[in-house]
Amino acid sequence: MSAPPDIIISVHNLTVGYADQVVLQRINFEVRRGEVFAILGTSGSGKSTLLKNLIGLYTPMAGEVLIEGRDIVTAEGDDRLRLLRSFGVLYQSGALFGSMTILENVRLPLDAFTRLPELAKDLVALSKLRLVDLKVSPARLPAELSGGMQKRAALARAIVADPVILFLDEPSAGLDPITSAGLDALFKELSRNSDITLVVVTHELPSIYAIADRVILLDAERKTIVAEGNPYYLRDHATDPLVRHFFRREAI
Amino acid sequence: MSSEKTIPPGPQVHFELRKAGEGRLVLVLSGQLNADSAPRLWQELKQKLAATPATTLEIDAAGLTHCDSAGLALLYFLSTGQMTPNAQVTLSGLKPEFQKELQSFSIKDYQDLQSQQPAKPSVAEETGMAIMGMAGDLKEMAVFIGQVASALVAMPFHPRQVRWSEVLRIFEIAGVNALPIVSLISLLVGLIIAFEAAQPLAQFGAQIYVANLIGLVMVRELGPVMTAILLAGRSGSAFAAELGTMKVNEELNALETMGLDPVRFLVVQRLLASLLLTPLLTIFSMFTGVLGGVIVMLGLDFPMPMILRQLESSVQIRDIAFGTGKGFVFGIIVAGISCLRGMQTKEGPSAVGASTTRSVVSGILLIVVVDALFAALMFTLKK
Repeated sequence: MSAPPDIIISVHNLTVGYADQVVLQRINFEVRRGEVFAILGTSGSGKSTLLKNLIGLYTPMAGEVLIEGRDIVTAEGDDRLRLLRSFGVLYQSGALFGSMTILENVRLPLDAFTRLPELAKDLVALSKLRLVDLKVSPARLPAELSGGMQKRAALARAIVADPVILFLDEPSAGLDPITSAGLDALFKELSRNSDITLVVVTHELPSIYAIADRVILLDAERKTIVAEGNPYYLRDHATDPLVRHFFRREAI
Repeated sequence: MSSEKTIPPGPQVHFELRKAGEGRLVLVLSGQLNADSAPRLWQELKQKLAATPATTLEIDAAGLTHCDSAGLALLYFLSTGQMTPNAQVTLSGLKPEFQKELQSFSIKDYQDLQSQQPAKPSVAEETGMAIMGMAGDLKEMAVFIGQVASALVAMPFHPRQVRWSEVLRIFEIAGVNALPIVSLISLLVGLIIAFEAAQPLAQFGAQIYVANLIGLVMVRELGPVMTAILLAGRSGSAFAAELGTMKVNEELNALETMGLDPVRFLVVQRLLASLLLTPLLTIFSMFTGVLGGVIVMLGLDFPMPMILRQLESSVQIRDIAFGTGKGFVFGIIVAGISCLRGMQTKEGPSAVGASTTRSVVSGILLIVVVDALFAALMFTLKK
């Protein structure tokens, strides 16, 4: 089964959870090519669990996730490699390898996926570092960088192999408002300058309003999606008290 | 004169390199230039351009329908004349959307990076650093011994400050749970030594003295030392990893700011537990080791009463006391050094691993050194 061309990720009847605990039950949504799509929810609503199912780290309890029409759970061999190459992930903590320099970290996907000459890999990695505006020497180790700079370096690593989808797991976690606003501007610019699709997991309202085209809101109690649409529209027109509460920070 | 080459597999990128006059080269690119097609093209162009001297190179990129970062890296490399050092290079026809990304490339960044590679320190520097490191380590050790001693002295006056439940938990994990492995190893070592000794002694008809040998060796040396080494590998590493993880997670800092001394809060528990369990484990190890020897003796058809009489005559109560005393000292050493290594853990993901290794290595080293000191002490006392 193949998805319509403008749908890049489609999720059908997906149930996710751990062992005997269901976190989200039979959810359906689609992500369109080129948009900035945000997965929202309070802590414990299953945002990160959903993300890990989307990128194939966890196996869904039921249902399927199709990325460009391919199922990551069943994809094998070259198919799986192509699928993995088609997306980049910015992990919450950056997940830079502490024993490698920034440049080596950023080069890693190119080492894994391509057979470019060494010099070409360095050139591409350096150009991405310039793109994310990392102002420190790429010969440094991650531990020598501030949290914001580590995020930028990790972002460079996530986009170095030119993925079509970029997953961002709580990009502003642990960062001050100014640094995270800077990152948001970077995401916006990235989305505008290329046809990359961004899938952001977050609960930061400023971030959501700044970058997201479309959002879904998850809820822990109902174990499902409680709202879907444009964040400004949901803020102004939602009737569900839970949704109003989230978007306006009102007491229920 | 013209030449053309297609790159299999898939008609991804085509290039045409032709001479358009004296010293003038034209390179026409078309198709998709991406991470899959770029490596091959890179190689071929490098060879071709090196073989064809030119004063100008015109790159026509109008035919490129798609170009990713890897492809742009190649275009950038070509357009800045890196492959044709003696030629003037012009790039034309590149689609505007690629043009923008091309500007993020910089050969200067690359050259800067090359110059930033850290210089290797000289031998003198490295020696100096190593000595400084050792001196620092000795100082930290002295401070730590002081802290532990003061905490231990203070303990009897404030017995409620010791978390006895924690002592019990560690006693169980590091002591009771270690019984099977300690007894198995001791039994086997006892068996092996008795076997190996029985053959040469048989030549002198002195096989009965295997009992004396195994008794003395197990009680005075191997029992305490093997127990201590097993403890260092099994529990010392766990102590170091546990405290190291706490250090990395800032739990040690949290203790400090709450006015709780980490030494008193964490180290004393472990020291007490190991002080209590090492002598017990040592006695157990002596017993099973001797048991191993007895099994071999029985196999050699010596009657049980005879073996026991032989053991009785060679191993005296002060030997057992000496071995057990060593166990006490080894217990303190293992727990102390592994807690110290844990608390010395530095930042970073490999730090906990490093301090665990250091704890086991230092633990075993200290055990052997102290054991040698004990042997020397006994020798002088006997004179």
